[in-house]
Amino acid sequence: MPQYALVIDLNTCVGCHACATNCKEWNTQAAFGPLSDFDPFGRAPEGVWYNRIFTYETGEFPETQVFHLPKSCLHCQDAPCVPVCPTGASYKREQDGIVLVNYDDCIGCKLCAWSCPYGCREFDEADKVMKKCTLCIDRIYDETLPPEHRKPACVLTCPARARFFGDIEDPNSEVYKLIEKRQGFVLFPDMGTNPANHYLPRQETTINLEEYEKHILKPDNPLFLEVLRRHKPGFASEETKQEQPEESYAEELP
Amino acid sequence: MHPPISLIFFFLTAGTSIGLFIFVYFIEFLKLFGKGQGLPKEVVLLSGVISLILIGAGAIGASFHLGHKLRAWKAVKRFHTSWLSREAVFSGAYGLTLLIYLVIKYFDISPFFEHFFGILTWILGVLSGFSTAMIYASNKFVLEWNTGITVIYYLLMYLMLGSSAFTIISYYYNLPYTGTFLFLTFLFVLLGFGFRLAFNIRQFYIKRPTLNEALNLPHNRPVRVIDKGSTTDNFCTTEFYYEKGKQMLPTFIPLAYLFTFIIPLFLLVYIWITGTVNQYLLWVIYLSILIGSAIERWCFFVEGNHVQNLFYGLYPEEGYKLRKGFMERKETRTSLYG
Repeated sequence: MPQYALVIDLNTCVGCHACATNCKEWNTQAAFGPLSDFDPFGRAPEGVWYNRIFTYETGEFPETQVFHLPKSCLHCQDAPCVPVCPTGASYKREQDGIVLVNYDDCIGCKLCAWSCPYGCREFDEADKVMKKCTLCIDRIYDETLPPEHRKPACVLTCPARARFFGDIEDPNSEVYKLIEKRQGFVLFPDMGTNPANHYLPRQETTINLEEYEKHILKPDNPLFLEVLRRHKPGFASEETKQEQPEESYAEELP
Repeated sequence: MHPPISLIFFFLTAGTSIGLFIFVYFIEFLKLFGKGQGLPKEVVLLSGVISLILIGAGAIGASFHLGHKLRAWKAVKRFHTSWLSREAVFSGAYGLTLLIYLVIKYFDISPFFEHFFGILTWILGVLSGFSTAMIYASNKFVLEWNTGITVIYYLLMYLMLGSSAFTIISYYYNLPYTGTFLFLTFLFVLLGFGFRLAFNIRQFYIKRPTLNEALNLPHNRPVRVIDKGSTTDNFCTTEFYYEKGKQMLPTFIPLAYLFTFIIPLFLLVYIWITGTVNQYLLWVIYLSILIGSAIERWCFFVEGNHVQNLFYGLYPEEGYKLRKGFMERKETRTSLYG
């Protein structure tokens, strides 16, 4: 059974919120809109967002790392929000595994939100129904769009190309290969929800500067001195030694 | 969790309605086997009408927490999977069969159908209470609620409300059941007290998940929330974390215990020792349980911590402290950096 999902590369995500704003922009005017906004330019703006970006810090000072976590509906393969819905408004499509809400049947009891361990469903106070990420179902099947544009709005807009979309059950898909190659992981694996959206872990980036030195260390490089100062420890200490006597002399002056 | 006032109202009305009918019909049922004298028709009809009005008021009140009240009837569609759907079906059917029972009783149509609908209403009432309790107990993401204690305690509360209400009726009509129901009220309040204590004590021993588990990170790596993605509160932070309520909880839990258990138990013991029963004492017992139950339900919601609060850094940290030693000994090789 196909299972469409997002794969998000935490190594590349810069936490710019472009995915969240473009998601809001598309979904507030498209088939599933509008998404309510209260006091949008005021002191306490509030509204429905399908996608929110969290920022976490790991490690102990000074060896800390910051990473960003975009979180939208994970379209769980064993979605706990679906069976609890008393009206059947919340459902999982068999053809692509996308979890959707039928706004005409939703009574706004909020029980589905109570049954989501990820907090990915938000109640729209204007429409009085529960709303959530639709994986831009109105884009991905729209044949009037060019094939390369038939992707969720968040994927298309990501400036760092940190978001990927596809069928995670298809071994030939880009997302399947990425999950396999980069050891993609899911949120809250112990909850038995089997989320479809995956995250690619951070990787330590190493650059061998010596290879580039012959190109960088040229006197016509405007940052020549800065490069020497940063990457040649000996040069920095020699420079300090030269400056030292002058400073000590200055301190002795009345 | 943010406490919905309409659901607390439903609990009080449905609790008194179903609890009262359970005892009224049980006395009638015993008469079938030659045990006891049954109840005068007037008492059955009066208590039945009270039950009917209360369940109706509760159903209307409960609909106020819905976004679309007029679509509430659609809640019957997922009976096979949803406890909320089962609750809607059972409480609706309970009200309907109760009405039929009262009509048959009023016109003395047929003893067979009277008891048939009586038994049916009794079963539907119990199933309705059980389904409501299961909505909370089956939610495995609010660990405080996810226990059998929630169900047992919930049903005991129905019995506490029902038996204390029936004691008043029994006293007014000078029935021979007042002494029995004073004892039953004492028993249910005492059992309720025990299960509520167990509910509270259990919270100290829950193995809580951590932010590391939520983010699928090694357990021995410290993680802190830097940014929650928005400058103000959103639906998830207001619905699943009631900050003002959490601050008031240390005051309200003792109040709930005082009104629901301590005052009724004290008055019941006073009645037994002095041998004096009057309507004021019985009304104070019922109202004390009623007010206490309302406060207790409010506490029940506020005490619940949804695991999604982990992502916002709003989940209790006790679990992390309890498990820290164990997790540090366990060597995890998974790395955030590949």
